[in-house]
Amino acid sequence: MTARVLSGGTLAEIARLRGLYPRAQSALLPALHAAQDQVGYLTPEVMEDVADALGLTTTEVSSVASYYTMFFTKPVGRHKVRVCTNLSCYLNGAEQVLHHLCQRLGVAPGETTADGQVLVEAVECLGACEEAPVLLADATRHPRVTTAAIDDLVERLR
Amino acid sequence: MPDPLLMKYAGQPGREAIAAYLATGGYEGATRALKELTPDEIVALVEASGLRGRGGAGFPTGRKWRLTPKREGDVRYLVVNADEGEPGTFKDRTLIEGDPHQILEGVLISSYANGVHQAFIYIRGEMFLGQERLSRALAEAYGRGFFGKNILGTGFDLDVVIHRGAGSYECGEETALLESLEGRRGEPRVKPPYYPAVRGLYDRPTVLNNAETMAHIPHIVRLGVDGYKAYGPPILYSVSGHVMRPGVKELPIGTPLREIIFEHAGGLRPGRAFKAVFPGGSSAAILTAEHLDTPADFDSLAKLGSMLGSSAIIVMDDTTCIPAVIRRTIEFYRDESCGKCTPCREGTIWLSQILDRILEGHGRMEDLELMDNVAQQMTGICLCALGESVPPALRASLRYFRDEYVQHIKTGTCDVAPAPVAAGGSA
Amino acid sequence: MSSAPPATTVRLTIDGREVVVPKGTTVYTAAKQAGIEIPTFCYHDRMAPLGACRVCLVEVEKMPKLATSCTQEAGDGMVVHTVSEKAQAGQRSILELLLINHPLDCPICDKGGECPLQDNTLKFGPGQSRFVEVKRTYRKHLRMGPTLVLDRERCILCWRCVRFGEIVAGDDALQGFERGYHSQIATPQMAPVHSKFIGNTIEICPVGALTSATYRFRSRPWDNRAVKSICPHCGCGCATTLNVRGNDLDRTRSREHPEVNDVWLCDKGFFGYEFVQSPERLTAPLVRKDGALREATWEEALDRIAGALRETPADAVGVIGGARSTNEDNYLLLRLFRGVVGTNSIDFRTDTANPLPVSSAPWGLPGSIADVERADAIVLVGCDLTEEYPIVWLRVKKAVDRGARLVILNPWELEVARWATHSLTHRWGAEAALLEALAGRRDAVEVAAKSGAPADRLRGAAEALAKASRPLVLLGRTAVERPDGAQVLAAAEAIRDAFPAAQIGLLRGRANSGGAQLLGLVPDMLPGYRPIGDADARAAVEAVWGRPVSEAAGLTTRGMLEAARSGALKLLYVVGADPATDYPDAHAWEEARRGLGLLVVHDLFLTRTASSADVVLPVLAYAEKAGTVGNIEGRVQRQDAAVRGPGTARSDGQIFSAIAERLGTELAFASWEAVFAEVAALIPGWAEDARMAPPRPAPVAAPAGAHDDTAPGPAADGALALVVGTRLFDRGTMALRCPGIRGQAGEPFVGLHPDDAARLGIVEGTLCEVRSPRAALRLAVRALPGLHPGHAYVPRGYESAPASVLQDERGPVAVTVRPAGGGA
Repeated sequence: MTARVLSGGTLAEIARLRGLYPRAQSALLPALHAAQDQVGYLTPEVMEDVADALGLTTTEVSSVASYYTMFFTKPVGRHKVRVCTNLSCYLNGAEQVLHHLCQRLGVAPGETTADGQVLVEAVECLGACEEAPVLLADATRHPRVTTAAIDDLVERLR
Repeated sequence: MPDPLLMKYAGQPGREAIAAYLATGGYEGATRALKELTPDEIVALVEASGLRGRGGAGFPTGRKWRLTPKREGDVRYLVVNADEGEPGTFKDRTLIEGDPHQILEGVLISSYANGVHQAFIYIRGEMFLGQERLSRALAEAYGRGFFGKNILGTGFDLDVVIHRGAGSYECGEETALLESLEGRRGEPRVKPPYYPAVRGLYDRPTVLNNAETMAHIPHIVRLGVDGYKAYGPPILYSVSGHVMRPGVKELPIGTPLREIIFEHAGGLRPGRAFKAVFPGGSSAAILTAEHLDTPADFDSLAKLGSMLGSSAIIVMDDTTCIPAVIRRTIEFYRDESCGKCTPCREGTIWLSQILDRILEGHGRMEDLELMDNVAQQMTGICLCALGESVPPALRASLRYFRDEYVQHIKTGTCDVAPAPVAAGGSA
Repeated sequence: MSSAPPATTVRLTIDGREVVVPKGTTVYTAAKQAGIEIPTFCYHDRMAPLGACRVCLVEVEKMPKLATSCTQEAGDGMVVHTVSEKAQAGQRSILELLLINHPLDCPICDKGGECPLQDNTLKFGPGQSRFVEVKRTYRKHLRMGPTLVLDRERCILCWRCVRFGEIVAGDDALQGFERGYHSQIATPQMAPVHSKFIGNTIEICPVGALTSATYRFRSRPWDNRAVKSICPHCGCGCATTLNVRGNDLDRTRSREHPEVNDVWLCDKGFFGYEFVQSPERLTAPLVRKDGALREATWEEALDRIAGALRETPADAVGVIGGARSTNEDNYLLLRLFRGVVGTNSIDFRTDTANPLPVSSAPWGLPGSIADVERADAIVLVGCDLTEEYPIVWLRVKKAVDRGARLVILNPWELEVARWATHSLTHRWGAEAALLEALAGRRDAVEVAAKSGAPADRLRGAAEALAKASRPLVLLGRTAVERPDGAQVLAAAEAIRDAFPAAQIGLLRGRANSGGAQLLGLVPDMLPGYRPIGDADARAAVEAVWGRPVSEAAGLTTRGMLEAARSGALKLLYVVGADPATDYPDAHAWEEARRGLGLLVVHDLFLTRTASSADVVLPVLAYAEKAGTVGNIEGRVQRQDAAVRGPGTARSDGQIFSAIAERLGTELAFASWEAVFAEVAALIPGWAEDARMAPPRPAPVAAPAGAHDDTAPGPAADGALALVVGTRLFDRGTMALRCPGIRGQAGEPFVGLHPDDAARLGIVEGTLCEVRSPRAALRLAVRALPGLHPGHAYVPRGYESAPASVLQDERGPVAVTVRPAGGGA
């Protein structure tokens, strides 16, 4: 079967990942990351492509994808801002951080801005409690977030 | 107070470069191990060092290695748990970002000691910087011949794959981690009959160790048992919450909570009073001021009905609404429960519903007994440690801070602060 | 499997009772053995323990925590309490937690009355709930296709259905989605389930989360009468229970038979019962008068038949069919036609033009169905197993799980190919060469070139087979029902030559074909697989019948049709068969029909054959009569009558007796048991549940490479080789009247390899004319990437588009596929 959505580059990456493991299914999480990086989120067609590339059933792939919070099966913002709301951050004002960020972007937690640019998520402990309150803007961690820092971030993301 | 051992160089700029690591004696332990020691000798060293796993359960590392069958020709694996997710814990991340070669060197020695030729490092999906630095470090170490074929000319082969998670606290549980590494949902396997040491990844014998545990190994080999023990032995406490100087504190194991919080972490914010502490992540029963002189070690904390766990110390001062903190904790377990077993899946949602009701001002006095009873019922019957992590903090809070719950039930609010908005709820 | 350690036992105490069990037994199983009941939900004894629901908690002395008895291995000296306060509290806790989010809509739940959640709650659960919060809700009643209804609110997430799909069926039909308290059983996008075994998940669901769309709201369990029956479909003869309310046939359930279906059924078995009570059933005899079939009395119809039989010479009388009748019906058929009328032209194989002789290539398995799982290499040749004999697949799956190698040779890729060690698609007709390559008698490269199968995989398959000590070769009709079928069989025998432990099965036959073969409803055999030329055998039969039996072999189905065309056969008697649709040459059938003086048909419905008959007799369906039937193992199994038949329908046997009486011979038996007893006198070992596999002659392998490939090569101007395949869900006479089956079958189609479709400029879905030298069909095109290029796949079993109109009894045909255009 030829892939319907995934690019040659992504398929090559999945083939490389598959080669790293004794069993093809082990490459599923990394393959889904690669597919999501290309497409933005995991459409049914993307999951079929991944299933074909790894010799799995689409049911299995969809089931696994639905388990992990970092995989999206619906369209989400190009940028992902993850605000830690677990204990240490909670004790240091995470609720206010989340509230201010959502207000600035006009979204509720878990939503993407209308322009499709920014997803805001409340997430669990990011393992950076010494920097509380902390958030992750795409791959970059922002320590000791203040409202001013949020305003800066919002400017840069828009 | 000895110098730090694991944290000595962590966080120095450019530390992930192999040249920096080599300049401070890096990979000397591994070189000695591969060239001068037999695998059995290394296992004996680790056993004698008294090192206990740093993932939370505290199982003696040397003993775990001995449990792994080592039949000639059998394929076995080493899996490093770098899926750090216990709330309040950030020591693994600090080591991975701050001194990644230290962990890789541990992986090399441990693999050699256990006859492993394929290792996996399962790193948390959200740990972007850690992945980047660890990958760069691994590539460089491959380039220098510390990994791959015929390592250091000894004929020993080892490949290491860094495997990225995708958002699941449960995958820090060892069998769930293996499921996830096999490309499935991160649900735990039932133990007994089979433990990973005997039947782990792909049903093969598997050595499963925490990332910090790996970082200890080069030092044990380099310093010898006595030299290593002279450091305490060392342990990394992650201290956070309402303290002035949060951070990873490398201290001799058994340092009293009071010293950790008030000396090493700089104490509380000015004008605040101490209220409570999670001594071992949110899975540990909370303790109060009367427990502050307890040594933070496995046994002393266990005696209080709490635990050292991942040695994450979360400090709460008198601005904290305990019922609200407990609700946040229960929500966390509710959302991270895999859903495979009944008590964890249903118990967490029930408890969080009751707590919601109490904090919304619709609590009933009988809810206190009900919560304690539901939590007590969950205890000891869950499939894995996640469900078992729910009751301790809740039950301790009902014991030590019952009046705060009562106040919420009776008045709909509390003195400290309006209950913060629930995470994930409308902002 | 490694050699087992010396068998040892452990002795433990459960609730004060001492129990001795083999080492490795779980506490749950040990308790069950001692008659102690422990509640379970996730545990199912056909799947490895999961330990997820946690309800089977017991207290084990010296253990700090309660243990789940389904996963806890019994240890020597262990002291277990299942009813201590601590154990009961644990069990009660789990039940309370399972109930907090269960809707308790028992009054409108099909499962009510046969629900493990109800039963366990009653026996082990708390008397009341302390839950005052809002229950989890989902959209109710999701239809997951024509047979399955999903209610996620009722689901207690025991994972049985998911694990059934993973472990037993290997089809991954249902999976867990989301996690935590949002966990739910689903399919991607809640699409209809894709499975041939989903009925089993309904059976093993411990609540009403999975219910049957066909049984839904039809009855309460306590109003159902349970009747033992045998599935009438594929020929595996799975044990079933029919549930009847009044005279309504409400559902089919699986009944345990360890050697046949274990505890499972396929979905045709589960949902293929509604045809029995279809309003379209024939209720009275029909007799052709003035060119049209009109209702008649039994007297009139039987007189007409008896009159014709009296006037027709015995060698001008032929009988085909019998696969849908009971053994007792068929025995009376033999007594009438072989004994009274005096013809040996009897053949139950109505759907093939190229049957191999029963003496050298009997239909069926060499052992029991359960034996399949003990093979360590299985070669499937031209047998679309999940479409043709689904329950056998479950045994193959078990064998694969135990490490057996599975090799598949087929012109199209089977849906179970992902479980195969080597799956090879190849040009149809190359089977003999491929088998010889597997047997190591022919060069893989040469055969690869001829067959189109990749040489490396062919070599790999040969190597896999070479390592086996108990190989099993299963041949299907696609491989052998060609003019050169004998060569394929001979090539398979070469494998038996190369591997003395190898066994060969010919997976063929439906319903009671196994019984028909055993009784000798073929032109050259007598009851008990004895050749008609065997004088002793004839004498034994004559002694019981009091009639002479001719030693000359009669005609096969094809021979009878040829004789009818030439005018030598005047009277054809068809018993529960539809050769006008199923005989693989509709044109040949029509010509034969024109040559017949009288065509008599027994059937449930006015089939294509029945519509053209002179006399049509309404008969009872399997659920309406008691008796025995045989399966592909040669096993004789009993079925009971569950419901009354429609109108004046009679059993085939009653009809044969009535005709015999008109011909002056008393053939009246007091009961089916009396007939059964007479058969027992003729066939040694004949007994209920006895398995009498046909004797298999020693291998007679043809010289290597002796045969020449006769299949048409890639034809010019876009012609494709026609391959006809069986579908489990089809739209044949019975399936059309079973909504659960018909709905899954979809429309008839022609399958093309995407490259062929592209070459012909045809896009998927285009309505095309598929033309053979015989005739044409209009079919929508479906892209089948797994089909070997150069072939056109047309499914059989569609009443509206019989593949047989394209087929030629003389051999394979090539077809052209062209867009149908507007007016044609």
